[in-house]
Amino acid sequence: MIFNLFLIKEFKKYPFFFILISLTLLLGIFGIAGIGVVSEQVTSKLRQNAKELLTSDLVVSARRELLAEEDLSLSQIMARHPHRKYQVIDIYSMVKHVRTDQIRLVEIRCIEEGFPFYGHLSLKSGIFKTNGLYLSQDLSDLWGGQVGDEFKVGEKIFSNLGIVTKDTSQGLRGFSLAPRIYLPLSLVKDAGLLKEGSTGSYARHFRVPNFSQQDFLKLQQEILKALPDAAIRVTLPQESSEQTARVLGLLTDFMSLAALIGLILSLVGIFYLYQSHLISRLKDFCLFHLYGLSKKDIVLGVIGQFSIIFFSVVVGMSLLLIPIYEMVQSQLSSLIGMELATTLNLFELLKSMPFLYLLGVTILIPLLMGLLRTPMGAQLKAAKISLGTFRFYDFSPFFTILLSYSVYLSHSFKIGSLFFVSILLVLGVSTLVIKVTQIVFRKIFLRRPLNVYGLEIGLASRHLIHSGHKLTLSFLSLALGTTLISLVLQLDSLIQKEFTLDEKKPSLFLFDIQEEQLPDLLDFSRSFGVRLEGVTPLIRGRLDRVNGMKFTRVPENSTVRTREDEVESRTKNRGINLTYRAGLSPSEKLLEGEDFSSSKNENESLTFVSLEERFAKRMGLKLGDKITFDIQGVEIEGIVKNLREVKWTSFYPNFFVNLSPGAIDEAPKTFLAVLPKDFHHKKHAYQREIVRRFPNVSLIDVEELMLKLSSIFEKARQAIELISWLSLIIGLVILYGLSHDQVYRRYFDIALLKSLGLTAGQIRKQLIVEFGFLFILAASVGFLIGWLIAITIGIQIFKLSWSVDLYRMVVPAVSLSIMCLVTILVASWRAVAVRPRELLSDS
Amino acid sequence: MIKISHLKKSYGVGESKVDVLKGVDLEIGAGETVALVGKSGSGKSTLLSLMAGLDRPDSGAIMIRGKNLNQMSEKELTLFRAQNMGIVFQQFHLISTLTALENVSLPLMILHNTEAEQKARELIDEVGLSHRSGHLPSQLSGGEGQRVALARALASGPSILFADEPSGNLDEETGERVMDLMFDLVKKTKTTLILVTHDKELAKRCSRIVMLEHGSLV
Repeated sequence: MIFNLFLIKEFKKYPFFFILISLTLLLGIFGIAGIGVVSEQVTSKLRQNAKELLTSDLVVSARRELLAEEDLSLSQIMARHPHRKYQVIDIYSMVKHVRTDQIRLVEIRCIEEGFPFYGHLSLKSGIFKTNGLYLSQDLSDLWGGQVGDEFKVGEKIFSNLGIVTKDTSQGLRGFSLAPRIYLPLSLVKDAGLLKEGSTGSYARHFRVPNFSQQDFLKLQQEILKALPDAAIRVTLPQESSEQTARVLGLLTDFMSLAALIGLILSLVGIFYLYQSHLISRLKDFCLFHLYGLSKKDIVLGVIGQFSIIFFSVVVGMSLLLIPIYEMVQSQLSSLIGMELATTLNLFELLKSMPFLYLLGVTILIPLLMGLLRTPMGAQLKAAKISLGTFRFYDFSPFFTILLSYSVYLSHSFKIGSLFFVSILLVLGVSTLVIKVTQIVFRKIFLRRPLNVYGLEIGLASRHLIHSGHKLTLSFLSLALGTTLISLVLQLDSLIQKEFTLDEKKPSLFLFDIQEEQLPDLLDFSRSFGVRLEGVTPLIRGRLDRVNGMKFTRVPENSTVRTREDEVESRTKNRGINLTYRAGLSPSEKLLEGEDFSSSKNENESLTFVSLEERFAKRMGLKLGDKITFDIQGVEIEGIVKNLREVKWTSFYPNFFVNLSPGAIDEAPKTFLAVLPKDFHHKKHAYQREIVRRFPNVSLIDVEELMLKLSSIFEKARQAIELISWLSLIIGLVILYGLSHDQVYRRYFDIALLKSLGLTAGQIRKQLIVEFGFLFILAASVGFLIGWLIAITIGIQIFKLSWSVDLYRMVVPAVSLSIMCLVTILVASWRAVAVRPRELLSDS
Repeated sequence: MIKISHLKKSYGVGESKVDVLKGVDLEIGAGETVALVGKSGSGKSTLLSLMAGLDRPDSGAIMIRGKNLNQMSEKELTLFRAQNMGIVFQQFHLISTLTALENVSLPLMILHNTEAEQKARELIDEVGLSHRSGHLPSQLSGGEGQRVALARALASGPSILFADEPSGNLDEETGERVMDLMFDLVKKTKTTLILVTHDKELAKRCSRIVMLEHGSLV
């Protein structure tokens, strides 16, 4: 019977309500589901191709060459299992295209015979072999490189044997910083590139036939035990695909959060629509109750009704997503730089549905509680039907689910909670602004005659003063949408500003400078009329003990991991690059503790240590901790004397760990250095000469790097902004619904005003004043909160400088307000055209 | 004062078309009180809506104080109505966000009357609600609401007062008191009253009763 009453009859009687609810819900979940599906397509593709990505069954890698004893241990373990192996070293170096005389930093993949065990490299023509230099397609496009062209790599010149159009081991090409070339390891060594301390990734790949997944896991543990340095990773295909997916994961997490705003806005709309619907149905519900239906049955009926709508929407959306995905699949693939499957895996779509369903149901709880609190018998006698009141704590299940879902989507307690707090902030500020506005308006308008500032303003002010929570809902939906847009635009503005070449930033960043090359390089630079700045030694080491306790590797294969866990384990499980420096560099700021120069060394054997504050936090280190470093076999003991903040975007040589000069000065090292901005005009000539005279020294063109970073960020920003606008459009649709409903609730008021002599134009003017004020206020609040959140994130997380982009704040705020006004005018058009006859008793 | 000739009005199209008024002719003199009576669907409210300029007829003419309502533009009609007519509705139709005083002063303000508030206070006083002038409609009882609506209808000093089932939403005792007030005020201001009602007793208080049946006068 309940099914009949709440579903069949209701659907027949109120088709418009159900269509509206379904559309609102569809708009809300479409963004999240769409992003979820694409993200899942990428992850599953990477999972399917895990072995091709890794190119082998197991990899032992580090950011340094294995020590002799480590190599021996590994060989002893592997000798027990029949296997094949090769080494792959990825390094960055300057490469010159001889024909065009162009030079740039390139990722060199140094390979050996047998590469790859799994997957393949396709050439424009011919077959890939590990016998010479091969150029990647993007580098070929960049330089116009052809087969047969010569390239100078290190001290040697190689002829290009082919152009690699597809490399199955390259995950997401869209996010790589430098184009790639392939060169046999022996030739790279001949070219003099692999020197002591060269920056790169050193990996030994193994193929072990007839091994089960269990065998590989056992082997992995065995190797990890034998090679205790946390900086050495032992990777299986599955972990490799997860690492690759992580790059895109961060972006999709943020996009999902932006889409979650759209969902919240649609839930605001659903709350409002259901409230109106329940009020209009209350009399019937009272009659159901009178004839024996319990309140619980009625509530269950409403939940059942919503559930049917939800599942119908999910089915409808799935059917919609298939053709949409097929349409955009090729564009998506080229954007990400990975060929995605042409068909959609809809099963994955269902994964996030329980959360979405719970969010939908819990937003209705306050209304359902109101229904349970309604004295149904008394309602039948009452002149005016009213739903029982709901209390603030009725929203707590919704907020709990929202917080959990935010964390789930962002894979981060920190980001998820920050997002949740921001939502609460917008909610709180919106409510506060509305209340304060009403109080101020009471003081300004209610003590004066209605027409003192013009009749239209008087009428609009009275509506603003006396409107209840519906006003707050309209305000909130706009404020939330604009907060999101503002956040994206302002954060982008802050980051773009940071990635702009200014006087403070260097023009070239040099690395892999060998110690013996330094005097010549300094002389060479002087002869070029420029002084090498920020010359800083780089020494490789590892953290061995903290306060006497052995520093152990953090397991990375736990199933439930937040982004913070990942960052922490990655930080802990990698080797450390150290430097020694007496004081702070210009881009560093002392946060805690004291400078080395003002510290007294009570224990001569202890070196002073300065740590970057976030590194210290992730590693769990604090002031006064005693740390033992293993610097290439030599133990150095230090005490943490200070924590400092580093402005990484300065592009000056900086390190997580700085030691006081003395203890490690003699350790094997390479040097980093920068060239100043005013050197900009001689940059290319300098680069050419460096490649000729110091072929192993690599240079990063800071301007080019910033452009590349900006373009990667721009891609991400565009994607997030697209979703943000989608959310805002949902907000506008909801606003349209709310405004439409509010105007229609004033149907009789409008008719009455017309019967009293007010023209349609005057009524529209009143609506423009009323809603215009509300929208401009909401947009201003949204943009201000968005900006505040942006600078908080910018300063706290990205360590950016404070700034405000007024253009990006005012222009969207004004255009949004205009869009909203158009929305309200469209929504109210028919209502304003009403004939006052509707007021009569027979209408 | 009011002269109606061959007034016709229908609603709907095709097979669902209903002829509500089928050529009504009627004359009402200044200061007259006229009750329009008839069964539901007889066309009395439609006739009132056409006379009050709330709707347009299909054909025929409505002359009020020598002016043909049909020939007026929407804007002219709105102004003419504001200056010459007051309307009391069955549902009161007070603006929920305005106080009783503001509801009464509104028609005067629309006509740019510089003493709107003062005049509205006098009228509120006259209907015995000066102590409730600052209250919102939701804070007033049914009888109080209809008294405010009556004061508002008479605020601009109209020559004609249209009342559509004015006591229909009130209990008998309250309705009677409000109607007493309405007839007193109409008499005092020499306003023409055109009243639509089902209540035979109320109709009898008017100087003339006009009966409508199936869209025609009988």
